[in-house]
Amino acid sequence: MLAGPAIIVMVVILLYPLAYSFVMSFFRWDLGDSTPFIGVRNYSDALSGHQFQQSLRNQIIFSIISIAIEVCAGMGIAVLVNSKLHGLRLARTLLLIPPMIAPAVVGLNFRWLFNEQYGFLDAILRDLHLPIVPWLSDPNWALTSVIIADVWQNTPLMVLLFLAGLQSLPQEPLEAAAVDGASPWAAFWTIVLPLLRPIIMIALMLRIIDTFRTFDTVWLMTQGGPGGATNLVTVYAYLLAFQGIDFGHAAAVSYIALAISLVLLAILYGVPWLMAKRGAI
Amino acid sequence: MSDQVLERPRDRVMVHSRRKISAGLVARYAVLAVTILVTVFPLIWLFITSIRTSSDIFAVPVHIIPDSVTMAQYVKVFSQYDTGSYLWNTVVVSLVTVVFVTVLSLPCAYAMARLRLPGQKIVLSLLLIMRMIPVIAFAIPLFAVFSNFGMLDTIWALILAHTASKLPVAIWLMIGFIQDLPREIEESAQVDGAGTLRTLIQIVTPLIGPGLGASAVITFLFTWNDLLLALTLTSSKDAETLPVGLTNFVTQYGIDWGPMSAAGVLMVIPTLIFVWFAQGLLVKGLISGAVRG
Repeated sequence: MLAGPAIIVMVVILLYPLAYSFVMSFFRWDLGDSTPFIGVRNYSDALSGHQFQQSLRNQIIFSIISIAIEVCAGMGIAVLVNSKLHGLRLARTLLLIPPMIAPAVVGLNFRWLFNEQYGFLDAILRDLHLPIVPWLSDPNWALTSVIIADVWQNTPLMVLLFLAGLQSLPQEPLEAAAVDGASPWAAFWTIVLPLLRPIIMIALMLRIIDTFRTFDTVWLMTQGGPGGATNLVTVYAYLLAFQGIDFGHAAAVSYIALAISLVLLAILYGVPWLMAKRGAI
Repeated sequence: MSDQVLERPRDRVMVHSRRKISAGLVARYAVLAVTILVTVFPLIWLFITSIRTSSDIFAVPVHIIPDSVTMAQYVKVFSQYDTGSYLWNTVVVSLVTVVFVTVLSLPCAYAMARLRLPGQKIVLSLLLIMRMIPVIAFAIPLFAVFSNFGMLDTIWALILAHTASKLPVAIWLMIGFIQDLPREIEESAQVDGAGTLRTLIQIVTPLIGPGLGASAVITFLFTWNDLLLALTLTSSKDAETLPVGLTNFVTQYGIDWGPMSAAGVLMVIPTLIFVWFAQGLLVKGLISGAVRG
């Protein structure tokens, strides 16, 4: 009885539409009068379509590079500032800001910083007499620019997570290593990193889930352009649904995205589990 | 320098290691300073842009210090772009969603944490899966469902969609906070004849204040920040929120960077307020949400 209302709301507003769109992903569903059943056509069309393949390639590059930078930089910064530094408290407060502001504002703000005529970054390059970078107008640069915006927003969250992890580490193994004369570098690889593994897994899981639903930042920066160079899967599904009015196709694309992120999570958790199991035998 | 030559070898080692520590310390401070600078600079640049005059914004070469300070962009964003109605919709949607999510998630989390219910495991794993689903996967069908009910472009559609999508995280968060409470207090209340509902309202609720606060702050900010659901479900000033307003600056009017950066600053204000005054709650919500979710 207590759990009832919340469960009813989630079933009606989340699960029912999800099931509905899963079913509709097997129909031609374009808000027309009839919705004929077309089997897996939406899926096969999506998988064989050039635009979907492009968005999938963009998505994979975006996810891998931004997650790699965010986790590595986050860990590096957390390890280096994890001592009694003046200003660390202030830094913790400030680091909380980027992950908590609207991704739409991040997109808008970086679009402004990346502006080729009036933007800050190209102004600096001009002052240094370097060639300016066509951040958002060149298809070869646009995805990099989107990744930079995402890295700016999410690295601070990784720093905070890893700082929390570092501060809950047991001190004895580290002190023992120091007594044994291990270098801080060796101690990091052999003691700190294995102990932090659970929190690194959580960070990876969070970022995989979130990069696969990145929309707002890209929408404000490029709307997927130029020429589809920053079309991520969610952006592509949105364009299919609300500019192409092809809801069945869009639903199929969003389910493919969900399937891929589930597979990645399964690999992330499955491989260490399998290795542990084999090691145990 | 000359005394050091006279020192015994052991002391020299100590001097050496002390010097190494201080070099390390300088490196640490450098990393900290660069991190802080890179974190805040883009936001400061946004703010500086929003207090420049339009001719100053589009001045070449770009200069950091504004020629003069003006509130003109903020005036313009309200007078010319009708940001008042966007702002009002965003505030109403975010606040009502927080109320709904809190009222619905608390009893549900209590039941999950304390009572043995049939199907509990299924519900818990469903909550986890719902967190992973891309928003677009239910934004598309929600558009169709709300259009069938004639609810498109109303703030109620938006509130319902946000309530449902923020519930899984809120319930997860609160289950954790309730499990951390000692059971004895509730048991003694029940021995005294208080029913489950009364125990929840009178005993448990006051004790998990931080949990309620953390979940409310997180729910508020994620609703406030959302673009995709609002973009999907709204189409006019009746229900469009501030993030949608930002996209309208781009597509409808070309990009008028002055008012747009002023609107961006307005968007960031609640985050700054919560980060400053409720940092503990936010971190608790983020970290325990992350750890459990």
